[in-house]
Amino acid sequence: MRILILLLTLLSFLVAENYTFLVQPYSKEIELEAKIIAEIANASLHSKIRLFIPHMTEMEEKVYSKYFILSPKCETANFVFVNKNIEKEALCDNENRLFFTNNYRKLLSDEKYFGALFWNKSRPNIVFIHKRLEQKAIELPKTFDQFVENF
Amino acid sequence: MYRKPLFKNIFYMIIPIAVISSILIFLLLVTMKLEKSIESKIFEISTSDVFSITHNSATYIETLLKDHPNFPEDIKKNSFLQRKIEESLKTLLTPHIKYAYLLYRDNRGVFRFLSDASIHEEKAFIDQKLDVDSPEWLQIYDTKEPLIIRHTLLQQLSISYLVPILNQGNVELILAIDFSVHKIEEINNIIHTIQNGIMGVISVIFAILVFVIIQTRHFSAVKKSAFIDKLTNVYNRNYLQKYEDFINLDDYIVATLDIDYFKKINDTYGHDIGDQVLKQIANTILLTIRHKDDIVIRYGGEEFLILAKTRRDGYLVALNVIERIFYAIQENTFYISPEESINATVSIGVNLIPHKSRTFQEAFKLADIALYNAKTKGRNKIEIYDENENTQNNISMSLNEIKEAIEEHRIHCYYQKIMHTQTQELSHYEALLRIIDKNGKVVLPDRILPTIKGTFILRNITKEVLGICYQQLRQHPMVSISINLNPHDVIDESILAILKAYAKEENIAPRLGLEIIETEDLTSRMDAKSNLLMLKNLGYTIYIDDFGSGYSNFIYLTEIKTDYIKIDGTIIQKILDDKISFLLVKNIVAFAKEAHIKVIAEYVSDAMIYEMVKSLGIEYAQGVFFATPSPVIDA
Repeated sequence: MRILILLLTLLSFLVAENYTFLVQPYSKEIELEAKIIAEIANASLHSKIRLFIPHMTEMEEKVYSKYFILSPKCETANFVFVNKNIEKEALCDNENRLFFTNNYRKLLSDEKYFGALFWNKSRPNIVFIHKRLEQKAIELPKTFDQFVENF
Repeated sequence: MYRKPLFKNIFYMIIPIAVISSILIFLLLVTMKLEKSIESKIFEISTSDVFSITHNSATYIETLLKDHPNFPEDIKKNSFLQRKIEESLKTLLTPHIKYAYLLYRDNRGVFRFLSDASIHEEKAFIDQKLDVDSPEWLQIYDTKEPLIIRHTLLQQLSISYLVPILNQGNVELILAIDFSVHKIEEINNIIHTIQNGIMGVISVIFAILVFVIIQTRHFSAVKKSAFIDKLTNVYNRNYLQKYEDFINLDDYIVATLDIDYFKKINDTYGHDIGDQVLKQIANTILLTIRHKDDIVIRYGGEEFLILAKTRRDGYLVALNVIERIFYAIQENTFYISPEESINATVSIGVNLIPHKSRTFQEAFKLADIALYNAKTKGRNKIEIYDENENTQNNISMSLNEIKEAIEEHRIHCYYQKIMHTQTQELSHYEALLRIIDKNGKVVLPDRILPTIKGTFILRNITKEVLGICYQQLRQHPMVSISINLNPHDVIDESILAILKAYAKEENIAPRLGLEIIETEDLTSRMDAKSNLLMLKNLGYTIYIDDFGSGYSNFIYLTEIKTDYIKIDGTIIQKILDDKISFLLVKNIVAFAKEAHIKVIAEYVSDAMIYEMVKSLGIEYAQGVFFATPSPVIDA
C-alpha cells in the first residue's frame, strides 16, 4: 500500500505541469510586464509612483497593485502606462506625468510617450527615445543605455 | 530464534535481486539514452528540410549581395534588394515557422532589422532594433556556423535557427527563423508518448521487481519457519538435514546436550509442564550463546546440538560457551507453575576435534559418544570426547543404523540353551539380541546397547524381540524362552500392554521368562515393583539378571517374588580362582534355596566351572560349554 501511495505521489509530481490551471491564466506574463514597468518607472521618476492604466482589467489591478500605488484617474497619476488601443483624447496631458506605451508604432507616432515596452518577434523589447528623455529631463541608469534610440 | 545462516544459501536470494536490480538500472540508463537519441532524431527529421531551405535562402541573399561591399547599407538604400530579400524570407514562413528576418549588428552591438517576412502590425521597420534574449546569439560571429538556440523562457517560441551570411569572411548579416512552440509541442507529444510507454514498461518491471522481492522475503520467512522448532524457538532437525553438508567443521566444536531425567519431569508433571521446562531450558541456552556465531538445534525430544564457533587461537572460547550453558541451566530454576519451580541439570558431550571427522554425522556421533559417557558417569556432567577412551565405542552402531535395521526388519534373536545342571538336559532358551548389518554381518548387543541406552529406540527393540519370541513360542509349543527386559521396559505402558495381550493367549506366558537387570531404578520405583508382581500373576516367570554384579538387594528379591536369579557371568568366570567370588556364589545359592528361588549360572565356559557350579548346588547353567547361541531353536 505504501509503495502504491509513493508511486501515485511520484506520478502526480511528474504530471504537475498539467495543474497550472490552478494558477490564474496569463498572470505570469502580466507579472513580468509589471516588474519591468516598475523597474522603468522607478528609474525614470524619483518620486513615489502613482500609476494609471486606462481600462485596467481586474487581473492587471491585482498584479500591478503589488508594485505601484494605483491611481484611479489619469490626472492624479504621475506615470501612465497605455497598454490598450485608446483614443488620444481620452487621456490627460503629459504635463507632470510620464507616458509609456506597449506599442512601438504608437511610440514613434506620438511624442507624448518617452518609451515603450512591447513584444517584438515574441520577445520583450524596450525602447526609449533619447530626445524625449532629454525633454522630460529623465536620467536613466547606464544599464538602460542599450534600450535608448537616437531618432 | 532468527539468525542469519552462515551458509551459502543467502546468496540464492541476493543474487536474483542483484541481477534484477542491475538489469533495471541498465534498462533505465539505456532508456534515458534512447529517449535523448529519439528526441534528437525526431528533431533532426522534422527540422532538416526547414534548415536546408533556410540555407538556400541565405545562399540566395548572399548571391544577391555578392557585388555589394557593405551589405546593411546597400540593402537599406536599394528597394529592389529589399523586395527580393523579403520575398525570399516569405517563402520560409509555414504554420510552424513563425518569423523569418534578416538582421545586422550596428556599431553599438545592437541587432537591427534589415528585412522581415512578417506582415501588418508584426512587421518590423528597417533599422528597428531587436533585443535578443540570449547572449548565445553572439557565438555565431565567432563560429561563423549556423546556430540553434533553444528558448526556455519565451512562451511563443521554441527554437531559433540562425544562418550567418558572410562578407569577405566576416559575419555581416544573420538570417533568422523562429519556430513556434507548436512544432516542438508536436515533437514533445511524440516523445511524451514514447516516454509514457517507457515509463509504463519501467513501472511494470518495477512492480514485478517489488513482487519478486516480496515473494522472495515471504519464501524466505516460510523457509525459516520450516527450520525453526515452534516449541523451543531453536533450529530443528530439518535445518540440520538441509545444511549439515555446508557446516565447516574447522569452524566449530560440536556439543550434544541432553536434559537429565527429563522423562521423570514428563511422567511426574505431565507433558505440558515438560514442554514448558523444555522451552525455558532452550531459552536459557539461547540467552547464553553468542548469537552471531553459535547454532543451536533441537534434534530429539530433550536433546540439543550446539555448534559453538571457535577462534583462530583455539577452541577454548567455544568450550567456555558450552560451560556457560551447563552452569546457566544448573543455576537456573524452571517454573512448572506460577508459584512452583524445579531445578534441572543437563549432560553434555563435546567433540573438540570435529575437523578430524570426514562428515558432520561422524563428528556428531563422537559428541554423542561423549554424551553417553557423561550419562553413564552419573549425568550432570560435561564430557569431552576422548579418542583413546572411546576406540571401542567407535565401532558401535549409530542411532540411524539401528533405526534402519528396525525399519528393514534386520532385528533377530539368537537362542542360547539353559541346561539343568544335574541332568544336562535342556530347560529353556535365552533369546539374545542380534542385528544383521547391511553387509550381512551379525552385530552383538555390546555394539548396539550403548547407542540406544535411555532412548525410545531401546523400547522399540524390546517390542521387536518380544514379537520374535512370541512367534517362536507359537511355532514351538514345548519350548520356553526368556528374554531380557530393560528396567524401563517394566514401567512402559506399551510394553506392558503387549505382555498383557500375550498373557491372554493360552500357554504363552508360562513359557515366556522376563529377565530384568536389578538396578536402583528398578528397586526404588513402586510402580516397577507392582508391575513385576502383576506380570508374575499373569503367569510370566521373573528372572533377576546379572545378580551380584552391582546393586544386589536380597530383600527386594523376596518382595517381588522372583522365580530365578541369574548370577552375573563375570563372578562365575572367577569362581575357580577367586575366593571372594566363590563365597559370594555360595551365599547367593544358600539364600536362594532358603527363599525358594532357583539359580542360574551364566558363562559356564568349561568343564571345571561346570563341575564347581554343579557342586555348589546351582540348578541351571548356560554357556559355551553347553552350546553357543544359535539363530534357530532345536525343538
